[in-house]
Amino acid sequence: MTTDRAQVVVIGGGATGTGILRDLALRGISGILVEQGDLAHGTSSRFHGLLHSGARYAVKDKEAARECIEENMILRKIAPNCVEETGGLFVQLKEDDPSYTDKWISSCAQAGIPTEEVEIGELRRTYPVLSPDIVRAFRVPDCAVDGFRVLWSNVNSARQYGGQVLTYHKLIGIKQSNGKICGVEVANQLTGEHKYIECQLVINAAGAWAGEVAAMAGLEVNVIKDKGTLVAYNHRLTNQVVNRLRPPGDGDIFVPHGTITILGTTSITVDEPSCSKPGQQEVLDLIKIGSEMIPELQNFRMIRAFAGVRPLYQAGNGAVGRAVTRNFALLDHQQQDGLNGLVSIVGGKFTTFRLMAEKTVDMAAQKLGVDAPSRTAEEPLTNPISKEILERGKKVFGVAGAKKAADRLGDNFVKVLEEAEKEPHKCKVFCECEAVSLAEIDFVARDGDSFTLGDIRRKTRLGMGTCQGTFCSYRTLGALSSYDWTRNHKEFLTKFLQKRWKGIRPVMWGQQMREAQLSTAIYCTLFGMERMK
Amino acid sequence: MTQGDRVALDNCIKCSICVSHCPVARVTDKFAGPKQNGPDLERFRLEEPAAVHPSIGYCSNCKTCDVVCPSGVSISVMNCKAKGEYVSLHGAPLRDKLLCRVEMMGKMSRLAPSLVNVLGGIKPLRILGEMVMGVSSKMTLPQYAPKTFLQLYKPQSLANCKGKVLYYPGCYVNYNNPEVGLALVKVLNHHNIEVMVDQFECCGLPIIANGFLDVAKGHAERNIQKLKKYAAEGYQIITTCPSCNLTLGRDYHELFDLDTSEYSVMDAFEYLDQLLEQGELKTDFCNVSLKLGYHQPCHLKAAGSGVPSLAILQRIPGLQVQDLDAGCCGLSGSYGFKKEKYPISQEIGQNITRAVQEMAVDQVITECGMCQLQIFHLTHQEVIHPIQILARAYKL
Amino acid sequence: MMKKNTDVLIIGAGLSGLMAAAKAADSGKKVLLVAKGMGALGLSSGCIDLWGYSLDHPEEICQDPVQEIIKMVAAQKDHPYAKVWDVLEESLSFFQQICSQNGLAYEVAEKGNWLLPTALGTVRPTYLAPAGMAARELPRAKNILVMGFQGLKDFYPEVLTTNLKNNMNLPADCQLTTLMLDLGKIELSPNNLAYLLEKDEVLQRLVSQIKPHLAEEMVILMPPVLGERGHTKVLLNLVESLGVQVYEVTNIPPSLPGQRLQQALLHHLKKQSVEIILGCTVIGTTVLGEHCTEVLAEGSGKNLTIAAKSIILATGSFLGGGMEAQPGKVIETVFHLPIKVLDEKWSAKEFLSLEGHPFSKFGIEVNNHLQPVNSQGEVVIKNIRVIGANLAGANYPIEKCGNGVALATGYKAGKLVGEV
Repeated sequence: MTTDRAQVVVIGGGATGTGILRDLALRGISGILVEQGDLAHGTSSRFHGLLHSGARYAVKDKEAARECIEENMILRKIAPNCVEETGGLFVQLKEDDPSYTDKWISSCAQAGIPTEEVEIGELRRTYPVLSPDIVRAFRVPDCAVDGFRVLWSNVNSARQYGGQVLTYHKLIGIKQSNGKICGVEVANQLTGEHKYIECQLVINAAGAWAGEVAAMAGLEVNVIKDKGTLVAYNHRLTNQVVNRLRPPGDGDIFVPHGTITILGTTSITVDEPSCSKPGQQEVLDLIKIGSEMIPELQNFRMIRAFAGVRPLYQAGNGAVGRAVTRNFALLDHQQQDGLNGLVSIVGGKFTTFRLMAEKTVDMAAQKLGVDAPSRTAEEPLTNPISKEILERGKKVFGVAGAKKAADRLGDNFVKVLEEAEKEPHKCKVFCECEAVSLAEIDFVARDGDSFTLGDIRRKTRLGMGTCQGTFCSYRTLGALSSYDWTRNHKEFLTKFLQKRWKGIRPVMWGQQMREAQLSTAIYCTLFGMERMK
Repeated sequence: MTQGDRVALDNCIKCSICVSHCPVARVTDKFAGPKQNGPDLERFRLEEPAAVHPSIGYCSNCKTCDVVCPSGVSISVMNCKAKGEYVSLHGAPLRDKLLCRVEMMGKMSRLAPSLVNVLGGIKPLRILGEMVMGVSSKMTLPQYAPKTFLQLYKPQSLANCKGKVLYYPGCYVNYNNPEVGLALVKVLNHHNIEVMVDQFECCGLPIIANGFLDVAKGHAERNIQKLKKYAAEGYQIITTCPSCNLTLGRDYHELFDLDTSEYSVMDAFEYLDQLLEQGELKTDFCNVSLKLGYHQPCHLKAAGSGVPSLAILQRIPGLQVQDLDAGCCGLSGSYGFKKEKYPISQEIGQNITRAVQEMAVDQVITECGMCQLQIFHLTHQEVIHPIQILARAYKL
Repeated sequence: MMKKNTDVLIIGAGLSGLMAAAKAADSGKKVLLVAKGMGALGLSSGCIDLWGYSLDHPEEICQDPVQEIIKMVAAQKDHPYAKVWDVLEESLSFFQQICSQNGLAYEVAEKGNWLLPTALGTVRPTYLAPAGMAARELPRAKNILVMGFQGLKDFYPEVLTTNLKNNMNLPADCQLTTLMLDLGKIELSPNNLAYLLEKDEVLQRLVSQIKPHLAEEMVILMPPVLGERGHTKVLLNLVESLGVQVYEVTNIPPSLPGQRLQQALLHHLKKQSVEIILGCTVIGTTVLGEHCTEVLAEGSGKNLTIAAKSIILATGSFLGGGMEAQPGKVIETVFHLPIKVLDEKWSAKEFLSLEGHPFSKFGIEVNNHLQPVNSQGEVVIKNIRVIGANLAGANYPIEKCGNGVALATGYKAGKLVGEV
């Protein structure tokens, strides 16, 4: 067993964990992040991708709303390639309570969230898909945010300052002596090797798994696991986020996300943190409620459903689901349980991950006797791509391909562009639905953090469009077949296709049923892959 | 984007059938194909209208993609709009602006049609035209007729009028090949059907195909006004040009979202087929002993009503008609006249050359004037419209 | 509105529809074929799969598909083959005959089923293979050379060789090598490549690139791109120039063998004066009593009524558009015929399940005359015959019988309407 050393070990490669790693690194504190799967294995890849303006929480929780708008403004500034500044709409339907609208307007004002009423005629002209029953509509500064990209940007930024990341490493033990944490033991999920990491402090940022992590140290952290199912539509239904102007409920947010739209979410309490199976009934419920805002919804094509588990923190026992606060809690286990060297950060929401990380690292720094302040709000996560580079990119990858690749790759875009310019055959579009070139796929495949086709997918959006990977997965196998980790062709393809299948099954109607039959025809009828050895 | 357009976009299952049947993508790697330019990029255009592939200029607008798509995706509409977007962002060469104005060229050539024809045959001039303008010096130019169809047309007073049609001759028949229009008038008059003609504008198809959608929309709006008027007076609108037919009957609505519900357009043979169905088609045919090769124009295929001339021609004694079954001719209007597209156009047409040779036909017939020109250019055989065969069979 | 009259109306241009049209025209009927677009045949392997694996030993390749089918239908009365096994052999010879008349030869294996390689390096059992795919010498080859093309993004020789070793019983001393051919193109679509290979000078350039790699008793495998319509000539040229056997393997669409078959059959129909209208969707029907008198079709924004004595429904399954899945129900899109949904669960948990997915078996039930019946077994509309992937009861992707069912049911329907 090998041994590593760091001041801090961060458990969990979600938004909070990677944010913490970055904050630590920027303050000069050495840290290793341990994640059981790929980054965003848990909730950070399983939400609607909405960067809240805070308007959704304005009436119920002004504190949360204020945090949201502040963080929203910070993220736009520091991570322009992760945030799509779509703007958002809140729409009130005929049947919605008009007095709530009034309350909402004043609450937003109090929380510092700008709102602007939209003339209904103009709304209908811009978005004929929206319901004619909308009586009032307001603009708010909502955005769409790409979870994967934020996480990788955090990690890339942290790495520049010495932060380390171990993906596909599962925590198997927390070592303590005399009431003090002294290290953790982790197991490599791909090779089975074990590793000991000596440290002074462990930060539990394991999200839905926070209770399990705490239990390893013999402590209890009560995380309510609230499953939310979401649906991805095949195209952008609107160019702005659309929220229902009423107390938050199921199926009332549409988020345009690159080429797709995400409709979410449901809320069901589950037992397991890994319970991410979307249910067909939940999908039907979502369509029903979503149709109130977009009446033609049933005619538009869903490409998949997915589910995530929101880790909600409740100090005592009591409220469940939407009644639980979306605020976060920072638990100092020394104070709370007398165990020195363990801190848990639980609850919260993606929009405020940076703030959560800042507060957590403030506490960590104090414990370690470091007095450097947080710099994560000022230092850009990625540098904006120059116009000149983008123009060069357009010549190589086309307008759509260049813009999307630049967003996805951030600082690495230039490297990919230069490779493609040198080797023109790499300009070929492999994922035609999401405009992902071979150059981009090959670059990501060689970045040292990719171990499966799914890892490439999360970084590039390969296989996340209309055909859900039917064509591009086979192609990618071929192009990457000389790499060591793709050697088992059957496993490489099957794992990926199976993951895609899991999301397709709950929405297998209409065109998506046709697509499913086409992919069955390709992989079973043409390739006989069900019997592949 | 209308709700219907969105549903149509969602219908694409990426099966690539459109790509495998695209005549252009088949012979060149310069065109990224209908799927990529159409439904693939359309999803990006919802966010960024400029997301157009630069290869869109290589789409010939033959509409084969629409015909073969098993999912009902209006691929050619997406491609046309994308080309429009591209041209409005990047502009177009002067050549394209001129080539697409077939009506204007027709009017100008009126000054001295024979002189224009002679000039068009002078090789050094053509080479100069290729160097300066980018118009291929190799492609056969259409010949201008000494008199236009509208000048030649003489209304007949019919004693026992059985029906009335408005004939939309289109630019090619009017300026270049009035014989087709005259043959149609004779055939219809032979059936006691009154033929009305009027001054219309060019349907706009060449303008659409070159990406000048705003200009074409103007043509559409003005033509629709007139067509509606005739339809209201009880005229059935007919064409002999499949491309005009498709543009008036479908593109005005699909591309510009204009209301075309107040009139309907039929191909001349669709109209005659209806007479046949009703038992009113005259059968006083004489023997025409010829072995004909029939070429189905892409835009007639795209009109979705089969080969309307087939049922009638099969009734002419002595006449043998065989489908060349050789796909697109490759010219696609102004497309094949462009220097950089001429080779593509000729490559596409090779299947026709081969089929004509293999079948050893006496003559080729086809409805589209541009297809006629291309097949003449490829095979050096005179090509005529099926209505001319029918007129001959009636001894008109 | 336009009106058309015909003896036989066929809706759908897949293999079953084309076969039905060919047989009906052969019987002297006036045939009109309308379809929404080019059928799924162009997406298929171009081979005719009849029955893949043994009933008694499911892990073994079935050695006599025709006999196996006869055995199978005795037990599975609901299988589409149960309605057409009587004409199975004559339908196959009819098919082979019209294909060879149109320049496309199909071959039968010595042992009943071919076991042919795919681009993934897996093997698939099939009954009739186009001559250019019927890799007879492969099981005994000393040397196998797999060639790919620079720029063709859907074929990778290393993938094929890596997996073929595990998936096919090759001689122990068999050498597998790969070769990338370069035509100086950055990107090549299969159709573009097929077109280029029909040019003699291009083919000769390939030959000179291949020659240094030839070895004793070698078989060459390559992606299915050896020409479009002139495929046979290209293949013969290549084999003659190289002096070794060259075979195409099955690949994902767009792939030429299915397209070639589709083109050959369409060409045949045109010669038989069958009128074909693509881009034309049936949107309404008039049913009086137990007969459909006419249908309303829409093509390019125009409507068309078609009156027919017999109608053959060959609209395919979900993929072809013959059936539409909606939450909780499946609809037959033209006549709203009853659909048999065989399982509450529509799909298996595993994408690559060995049992396949229940949705593959959904479809219309028919009697022995291929007329649609309801759950009581009563004929719903008498002058309709249902053929191909529309039919209930076959697990096509797993049983490996899709094109076989299409061919036999299409043939039988064409024969039946010829007798009306």
